Amino acid sequence: MTGETRYVTLPSPTASGSRLGVPQGTQFGGLYAREILRTFRNPWVLVITLVQPFMWLAFFGSSFANVPLAELEALLHIKIQGYLQFLLPGTLSTSMLSIGMFGSMSTIQDKRFGYMKRILLTPTSKATVFLAKALGSATRGLVQIPVMVVAALVFGVRFYGDPIMWAGWVLGLTLLGFGFSCLFLAVTASSTDWQTPGVISNFITMPLMFASNALFPAANFPKWMQYIAAWNPVSYSALFGRGIIVQGVADWTYLGYIAIFAALMMVAGTLVAARYLKVE
Amino acid sequence: MIDTPPGDAIVAHDLTKVYGSVDHVDRQILTAMNGEAPRDGPALAKRLALSPSTVTQHLTRLGRSMAVDHVEMKVPSGGVFGLLGPNGAGKTTIIKLLTGLSDITDGTATVAGYDVQRYPMQVKQRIGWVAAEVILDDDFSAWENLWLQAKFQRLADWKPRAEELLKYFGLGDRRKDKVGTYSTGMRKKLEIALALLHQPSVIFMDEPTIGLDPSTRRMLWEFITGVNQEFGTTILLTSHYIEEADALCDHISIIDHGRFVASGTPSELKSRVHEDFVELETVETVTEAQLRAIPGVTEVRTQGKTWILRVSSAEEVLPRLFAHLRTDEIKRINVEKPSLETVFLDLTGRKIDDVGGEVFDYRKFYSTVRRARQ
Ligand SMILES: Nc1ncnc2c1ncn2[C@@H]1O[C@H](COP(=O)(O)OP(=O)(O)OP(=O)(O)O)[C@@H](O)[C@H]1O
Ligand SMILES: [Mg+2]
Repeated sequence: MTGETRYVTLPSPTASGSRLGVPQGTQFGGLYAREILRTFRNPWVLVITLVQPFMWLAFFGSSFANVPLAELEALLHIKIQGYLQFLLPGTLSTSMLSIGMFGSMSTIQDKRFGYMKRILLTPTSKATVFLAKALGSATRGLVQIPVMVVAALVFGVRFYGDPIMWAGWVLGLTLLGFGFSCLFLAVTASSTDWQTPGVISNFITMPLMFASNALFPAANFPKWMQYIAAWNPVSYSALFGRGIIVQGVADWTYLGYIAIFAALMMVAGTLVAARYLKVE
Repeated sequence: MIDTPPGDAIVAHDLTKVYGSVDHVDRQILTAMNGEAPRDGPALAKRLALSPSTVTQHLTRLGRSMAVDHVEMKVPSGGVFGLLGPNGAGKTTIIKLLTGLSDITDGTATVAGYDVQRYPMQVKQRIGWVAAEVILDDDFSAWENLWLQAKFQRLADWKPRAEELLKYFGLGDRRKDKVGTYSTGMRKKLEIALALLHQPSVIFMDEPTIGLDPSTRRMLWEFITGVNQEFGTTILLTSHYIEEADALCDHISIIDHGRFVASGTPSELKSRVHEDFVELETVETVTEAQLRAIPGVTEVRTQGKTWILRVSSAEEVLPRLFAHLRTDEIKRINVEKPSLETVFLDLTGRKIDDVGGEVFDYRKFYSTVRRARQ
């Protein structure tokens, strides 16, 4: 080493503007296919995905069985056939809250076993990894919809509305699930700990489940909870679905709100992941 | 083959990695240090117009975790370059920097003709990578692992190449089985096949034979040499097995504490040291002065409970040694003739396979890995 100090021009860490991109479609396809295949090859993931909402309907849905319908309608501020009919759109909406947990856990597994390194040592961007995981999670969540609808039919719930409305309802749930998957994955982007998804799940799921129109109408809430419910996309999804199923009326602005939520989460999550997604 | 860069496949200049957060001041200090030991805090403070205590703080912080310390390297196309060093020397970190997996703190690196920091995606299209710990998707078969790799590398017509590679590595008839059921040697071979699928011009192998038995290791050496000769792939491999580096590499750099302490062809390195080393274990009453007094002993060092004597010639010194010490004072004696091992001993004062008395316990390692996977 020479004694004289040399000054080297350091590349600026923000000089990423000069980066040449590589198209990401093929990589996204591979990653998404991997997520889906892994899910359907692991029977337990499917069992949990399917049994949990079913349990909600069966147990929670029966909790007002001995309350006279008139009293229930007064409490819920809506004309219904039974609590189950009121609950179904809400439960489907709240079950979209925690589906991000699957994507988050599979991401942490990839970090721990080094597979994330294998992916990121190919021309695959962190944003692509993030989007594939988020869409994979949302897809997994969608499996719940037909199961619960069939279960509800078995329990004797009658559906109003028409096929276009129902398609809109499913689209809304998909977007909601995708939005929350993005949120979940962004929050756990830098985590490598198995426990984080569980902890985060409590922070996201609990407040947003109860501070929404999903299980009970917000009109019965204290002011501060009403405030949360008014901003909570779960409320929009529940109200949208309930309008269709219970009353046969679709308020499409709700779907618009959900779409905006999903888009915001996707953009914000992608930016966060591109920067903070840990490799190992 | 995408394109073989003419001349050098890997060029790194002042390559430096500091783990942890590195701010603007750190960068300036790193630059100013330029490979020097972080001693001249006050001078640096004046130069950078900072308070000396700030600089000292920074230097301590940086010095302590400098994983790669201003490394210069150049690997010609088609060469096999070996990074030889003990645990924690910085071998894996250098691979992470050159492959764009980890951010470079200071310096520049060009791999396969592209600047790693400016064109990471272009570099990644042209390199293959084999991890020290085998990384595969255990829930998928060999063929499916190849299929995923092809997707990640954006390959359209990958199947003939994949067939060829499976045949080359003798995995053809097990290709439909889940990788989780493979032996360690088969997994390693599949990993190398994945790294070769997109016909990279440079391939990085981190401790390619760690955890393999001697015969599998030798077979893998043949594959590695074969890949280099048949496909013309430049190979950078790390190892802490001296005989491995000796057998495979046409250039070796010995790395210790993040710095290159010696570089050259294996024979150049071997010719650096002409003296012999005597490893000696004695009872505790024997002192350093006693050993130094023996004619022909040029240096005395200790490594744990072992003395390491540098001697002009073991044949001449050993009789004198026995004359100076009583036989019941000597517990064990071992002579190292000039070899890569003695070069390493000479440069670092340690034996490479005996660093701090810690021995890598493969059985424990793999049982931990297996438990983690369950
Ligand atoms: N992610 C990290 N954060 C902080 N320090 C790290 C990190 N990775 C490595 N280091 C440190 O950098 C140094 C070099 O580590 P590296 O893994 O490159 O060594 P190595 O030569 O590959 O060793 P081995 O033979 O054990 O694989 C070590 O002191 C290590 O503790
Ligand atoms: Mg290593």
